Amino acid sequence: MKNSDVNLSRRNLVAKAGLGAAAAVATATLPKPAKAEATDRTVQYAMVIDTRRCVGCHACSVACKAEFDVPLGETRSWVEYIEKGEYPNVSRQFLPRLCNQCSDPPCVRVCPTGATYKRKEDGIVVVDADICIGCKYCMQACPYDARFINPRTGTADKCDFCLHRVSQGIAPACVNTCQGRARIFGDMNDPDSEVAKLIATEPVTVLRQEMGTKPNVYYIAADHTDDGDARFQHQYLRVDTHRRAKERR
Amino acid sequence: MNEVFWGLPVISYLFLAGVGAGAYTVSASVLLRGGGGGFGHKHFQIARYGALLAPLPMMIGTGLIIFELGTFTAAFENGDFWLLFRWIRLFLTITMSPMSIGSWVLAVCILASLVYAYTFLSPDAKPGDDKSSLRLAMAWVGVPLGIAVAIYTGVMLGAMPSRPFWNSPVLVLLFLMSALSGGVAGILLLKAIFDHEPQTDDAGGTEPAGKIDRSSYLLSASDMILIGFELLAVFLFIMFTYLTVGAQKVAISVILPGGSLSMLFWVGVVLIGLLIPAIIELKYVLPTLLHKKVYTIPRRVEMIVALVVLFGGFLLRYVVVIGGQITGPVGI
Ligand code: SF4
Ligand code: SF4
Repeated sequence: MKNSDVNLSRRNLVAKAGLGAAAAVATATLPKPAKAEATDRTVQYAMVIDTRRCVGCHACSVACKAEFDVPLGETRSWVEYIEKGEYPNVSRQFLPRLCNQCSDPPCVRVCPTGATYKRKEDGIVVVDADICIGCKYCMQACPYDARFINPRTGTADKCDFCLHRVSQGIAPACVNTCQGRARIFGDMNDPDSEVAKLIATEPVTVLRQEMGTKPNVYYIAADHTDDGDARFQHQYLRVDTHRRAKERR
Repeated sequence: MNEVFWGLPVISYLFLAGVGAGAYTVSASVLLRGGGGGFGHKHFQIARYGALLAPLPMMIGTGLIIFELGTFTAAFENGDFWLLFRWIRLFLTITMSPMSIGSWVLAVCILASLVYAYTFLSPDAKPGDDKSSLRLAMAWVGVPLGIAVAIYTGVMLGAMPSRPFWNSPVLVLLFLMSALSGGVAGILLLKAIFDHEPQTDDAGGTEPAGKIDRSSYLLSASDMILIGFELLAVFLFIMFTYLTVGAQKVAISVILPGGSLSMLFWVGVVLIGLLIPAIIELKYVLPTLLHKKVYTIPRRVEMIVALVVLFGGFLLRYVVVIGGQITGPVGI
């Protein structure tokens, strides 16, 4: 019931905004999702981020800001720069970040009102802004710092894989805009999908696997170096988060 | 440095809820221990102070926590009046979230403590009066409810691997001990302030009103023991976290020497909040304990001990709540 409420308002929005945009810009569409096929297989949307193809241009962050009119100072999606080493042995890597739509999401476990839940139909973790009280417990529990309080509504907010778009068969805004095609999106439970194939054939990793959250955002060739590793290896490391929280948590 | 999502309202709430819940539990235990006041007037008086105190900090703390809600702040920014009452959503459902269960337990505890306080309200409430069966019933539910409230705050913080500083079962023990000792301190404080009637000691002699108080041996002695347990909990909390590897070991360093909260923790919480009151209490309790002397403690000292214990309890919540948020998991 509450799902459809959320969908409806967003759907209308897309119908109005999306139509014009879709006509003008070549909009990436998703392979027809399982809904039409009506199999008993459940859908779990997932993203593979191929950091080798990311140039750190922030187009995804900007597209996301535009798509949701994300309030100033907050980020649903952001790109971190990881700079390390001493000349001449240096590297600079880009790490696009977003909510992992975890399969065992601690944010859902701690939510006292049920406002945050994982959708059965597509595995997207959403916040119902009509129920959330803004207690920030989920923000404490998310190991990825993916959440923030939206100052307009006072409720928790975060990336929802562009639910209003993907439910219409359109790719998320960040995926659509990525000029390097570093972000690949799809249903990982569909063995023929590009994400499923990449996950099966590439050496993918997830962030902070030890947190037990079972993330659904996979990375190819991500640089997992953090301050602790750098100290231990006596290495220079600088991480730019490009968001208000200057340190990643 | 990470962003601090939970600030002073939550810190004060954890402290006040602890003191209120502790006072309820302590008062109810004193009452039940005396079989409804059978130990005579002074135990009944102690129970009465605790009963009258308990609901207040719990209600003030609960009121404060509403200021931390995002919806409360947004209500003023976008003028949506109904957002002020969004917290009612907490009570339209119950989930497995420690915060959900805790809110219900807290609500029940506040209601029970109000009923319990009501049975003591009349100035000539005494053991065996017409409210005594209700009083006893509320005392029976009060012991587990007060403990549950004190425990849930620890579980709520401890439930998240993303907050390694909090993610320790010992935190529950630490908060429980601090809540009980805060409850005792609250009762001691009230007693020291309001108890002006001449005290009758066991020998039957009377003491002029004012300087000397002989009836709080039970409270001071139990507070001393609780502080002992709290020191033990502090020790376990640090050792278990320090002796592990990874995020928890890194996180605990904020309160170890060199950490940004270490002065506040060692001087504020441990020295001023625990060691000093324990030593003062020891000085007054030991003669009675060992030599069966009549217990005497100047009222002023009693007040200072109580205030210092309460101050330490607040600082403990401060250090824990902030320390948990300025540390995070290691690795990415
Ligand atoms: S990344 Fe954080 S907000 Fe997103 S589902 Fe996982 S725990 Fe929840
Ligand atoms: S802030 Fe909202 S979504 Fe997050 S735990 Fe609290 S009620 Fe749930």
